[in-house]
Amino acid sequence: MPRRSLTVRILQVVTLVVVTFLFAALIAAAFFNDGRPLTTLSPSGPSSASIQKLVLPVFAIAGVVFVLVLGAVLTVAWKFRSKDEDDPEEFPEQVHGRTFLEIGWTILPALILAGVAVGTVTTIIDLNRKEPDSINVQVTGQQWWWQYKYDVNNDGNFDGPEDIITATEMVVPAGRPIQVTTTSNDVIHSYWIPGLNGKRDAVPGLRNPLKLQADEPGIYRGQCTEYCGLSHANMRMLVRAVPAGDYDAWVRNQLKDHAAEPTDPKAIEGKKTWLALCGQCHVIKGVNDVKAKTTPVPLVAGVAPDLTHLMTRGTFAGSIFNLYNPTDPNDPNVLLSAGDVASAGNPGAALTGGTVATANVNRVTLEAWLRNAPAMKPMYPQGGRGMPNLALTEDQIDQLVAYLETLN
Amino acid sequence: MALTESRPLALTSGDVDTVYKPAGVFTRPKSGATGWKSWLTTVDHKKIGIMYGAAAIFFFVIGGIEALLIRVQLWAPRGTLLSANLYNQVFTMHGTTMIFLVVMPIGAAFANYLMPLQIGARDVAYPRINAFSFWAFLFGGVFLNSSWLLGGGADGGWFNYAPNNGVIFSPTNGIDFWNLGLIITGVASLAGAVNLIVTVLNMRAPGMTLMKMPIFTWMTLVTQFLLLFAIPVLTAAQILLMMDRLFDANFFNVAKGANPLLWQHLFWIFGHPEVYLMILPAFGIVSEILPTFARKPIFGYPFIVFSGIAIGFMGWGVWAHHMFVSGIGPITVTTFALTTMFIAVPTGVKILNWVATMWGGKLQFTSPMLFSIGLVTMFTIGGLSGVTHSVAPADTQQTDTYYIVAHFHYVLFGGAFFGFMAGFYFYWPKVFGYLLNEKLGKANFWLMLLGFNLTFAPMHILGLQGMSRRIYTYDAGYGFEVWNKVATIGAFILASSIALFIFNMFYSKSKAKNLPAPGADPWDARTIEWMIPSPTPEYNFDPIPTVSRVDDFWYRKYGETKDGKLVRIAATDDVVQKLSDGKHIHLPSPSYWPIVLAFGMPIAAYGLIFNMWLCLVGGIIIVGGLYGWVLEPPDDPEASHDDDGTDTHASDGGDAAVTEISGSVDQPNELDPAKEAETVG
Repeated sequence: MPRRSLTVRILQVVTLVVVTFLFAALIAAAFFNDGRPLTTLSPSGPSSASIQKLVLPVFAIAGVVFVLVLGAVLTVAWKFRSKDEDDPEEFPEQVHGRTFLEIGWTILPALILAGVAVGTVTTIIDLNRKEPDSINVQVTGQQWWWQYKYDVNNDGNFDGPEDIITATEMVVPAGRPIQVTTTSNDVIHSYWIPGLNGKRDAVPGLRNPLKLQADEPGIYRGQCTEYCGLSHANMRMLVRAVPAGDYDAWVRNQLKDHAAEPTDPKAIEGKKTWLALCGQCHVIKGVNDVKAKTTPVPLVAGVAPDLTHLMTRGTFAGSIFNLYNPTDPNDPNVLLSAGDVASAGNPGAALTGGTVATANVNRVTLEAWLRNAPAMKPMYPQGGRGMPNLALTEDQIDQLVAYLETLN
Repeated sequence: MALTESRPLALTSGDVDTVYKPAGVFTRPKSGATGWKSWLTTVDHKKIGIMYGAAAIFFFVIGGIEALLIRVQLWAPRGTLLSANLYNQVFTMHGTTMIFLVVMPIGAAFANYLMPLQIGARDVAYPRINAFSFWAFLFGGVFLNSSWLLGGGADGGWFNYAPNNGVIFSPTNGIDFWNLGLIITGVASLAGAVNLIVTVLNMRAPGMTLMKMPIFTWMTLVTQFLLLFAIPVLTAAQILLMMDRLFDANFFNVAKGANPLLWQHLFWIFGHPEVYLMILPAFGIVSEILPTFARKPIFGYPFIVFSGIAIGFMGWGVWAHHMFVSGIGPITVTTFALTTMFIAVPTGVKILNWVATMWGGKLQFTSPMLFSIGLVTMFTIGGLSGVTHSVAPADTQQTDTYYIVAHFHYVLFGGAFFGFMAGFYFYWPKVFGYLLNEKLGKANFWLMLLGFNLTFAPMHILGLQGMSRRIYTYDAGYGFEVWNKVATIGAFILASSIALFIFNMFYSKSKAKNLPAPGADPWDARTIEWMIPSPTPEYNFDPIPTVSRVDDFWYRKYGETKDGKLVRIAATDDVVQKLSDGKHIHLPSPSYWPIVLAFGMPIAAYGLIFNMWLCLVGGIIIVGGLYGWVLEPPDDPEASHDDDGTDTHASDGGDAAVTEISGSVDQPNELDPAKEAETVG
């Protein structure tokens, strides 16, 4: 048994140095949250802030305990190592235990944890308190996108004629509490906007509450966090917090329908194709919403994204692709990466019903999606889960895009 | 005994008037055989333990390859190595394999091999059931992995939440393989649990009271009780799922009014005790190793034991912390947050007792010692991140992110697996008769520590900065790139450390010829398994020692003065047992039936998936196996006995049910002495 080996010694030093640097780098990294839109360490709303306030001291305590234990182990290992010159038949003092120490280190952690427990319980109570004057939104998950229903008239019903149905992006007024209810149409999903609050599962058959509030206008990204099958990774969403005035304008626009015929001849053709194919699953208010109420949709979830105001959104297909190309990369609304194009996703004036900036529409991705959706995002259309390849001609795609661009 | 027995019990020689020969009675295979065939029929707890370990390492390589596929896929945004569908299967099978086919069976390997030695038993209480447990585990694991060749693996995650585990959402047979495979390995675990509990409680050497048992044996006992109660819950849930998937039942069909949280509750009532039953055997192993190389007794033996028992009990009251965001309501969340916090107390007690064991010692940094210290530090990280999850509001940010992935790898790899590595290096000479190379072992440790931390430490920050679990792809712009690259590099370093370990097994064996044999007690160790020759003779102890205190073997070598000074009272060579011919020791005879019985189960399971007629075939094999098992003579024709046909070294014979029927059915009781001489243990 060789007692010393240079290779082992080198490996030992390399490991200790690398691991020390690694831990230091990781701790430092926790303070750099710019360019990390899903970070939990940089709260932007009251709920996420109170979680942060609770967890930071816990991290600190855990860090101190770890340093103490590691320090103790290393000190003991160094101080009490056996040496070559030691007599192998000479033994250390045979200590079998010390009851007072045992009792001490049973009680001490229990006391620390009791302190943590107090903070935990009060924060749980705080997070579950209902806020007055909140906007009620029902968030429904299905493979692999999110639907939002706004109870605009506050009658406790999300399906009234005065209510809003939209998809993928939740538009909210900054500074106002949103009372979210999560549920699901198929499997379990989880709604998570890390900047605003922790996550809440969307469970079929259950209605789970979640408070959201954004302090400042901006875009808060999210990701489905309960594994929900094939395209779980591609089930994203965002909360678009806007000033109160913009929100009211957005609501007014969302309540409109698109019953009026388009004027552009291409769009007229596109609408025909849309009705024949897309309209079997998707809904545009004023076009096929009445019929859709009585016709079962051939999907497991029973619903496809509502397209009435498609162009008011910055992203589509579970928020993985941008609907708009970047105009100004310094625009605070610019999304950090979504899909195959570098950035963007700002609907501009279309958000509140203004004209769609057709020059900025991300036609490349939109057309690719219409050409063969399952190739763009893994789905299972043969089992009624996701959008099928509709085998459209290039002309049909062109016309469809022209029609979709009218849906402000 | 409730069995109605028409044969006379306890035949004495010369009393045989009529020989009872029902149809289907087969002679048992001969004891003492060697060669690969003897492994198929063995009931020797040591051979079974070795097979558990070998099978687990085989599955570990498969699970490790799956892990590397995951890491390569996540090397950069939009990885293209695996499709979404394949990735989902790979991470599901990685988790399932590592938990059910690696960590649990390595625990079973140590329990099987060591526990009977630590309590001074000849074998486990039910040797054939022990063999059956192993074969059922192996066939279940092979069945589970055969899904790769038969239409794809399960794709629902190792937790397989309802309703995503239903046929609509997972139309391939993958989840059926997962379900039925784990029902089979569950049968194996359950049979093993009963067996080992009975063994610990009934078959200890004279003088060994419960509070004189080695700590590994204590942790094995707690582990087996956890298995005994946890596995049936999973099996029940899986049978409901099987009914849903194969026979159109509606246990998890939301459209028919089912609550999908039922599955989560059942799964985690199993799943959390599962965590503790994976870690406790490793805790037991390091509790043996640390005192050996600190050259002083374990600090606070009763506290280590009772904290293990406390973990065993409290582990049942924390399952819903896996469901903090499922919608179980704030009262339930609060309750489980508090229970989860306080399970940290007994775990912390263990850590501090280990540090105190080392304190004041003369530490010898052998490979097993290094891995044990590795466990103490790495598990501490996992334990502390676990405390941050118990803070339920924080958990709503952390759960289902890579922070959790980091946490449980620090617990199961940094904890359980480092402990197992320590155990491999420590017990290798006892099992195989040669020491693993120390230089390679130390290199193995440092490389593993490096790779392990590079792989899993970055996942803490990835998770806190928003990377979800179970995603086959991520986009640029989320800040995930750097740490994913570090993790992938770390994974390959980790894999190379495993490769070095496997190389060390063969390298050390080839070098062992030129080295002196390690002898019974290469480490100057403490517990009685070290007083028997290495590798362990088939009969274990001859004679069975009488135990008078904890670390009995140590105190046969050393005496302690009143002021805690240790003095040698006997040379090691004088207190260890010499290899005997073992002729007079009656060992359980091998049997054909455990492997036959176990083989019927995957056949029936294939039948449930592909063709019901196969169920008939599997059923016939199972019933035939049981029939053969029950009617089998208690001994092989050449089994060793004392000349007078009695065996004073109790704790042997066949299974408990037939132990009392000594004497064979189709053989005269008195053996030809010449023939008997051929059978040497």
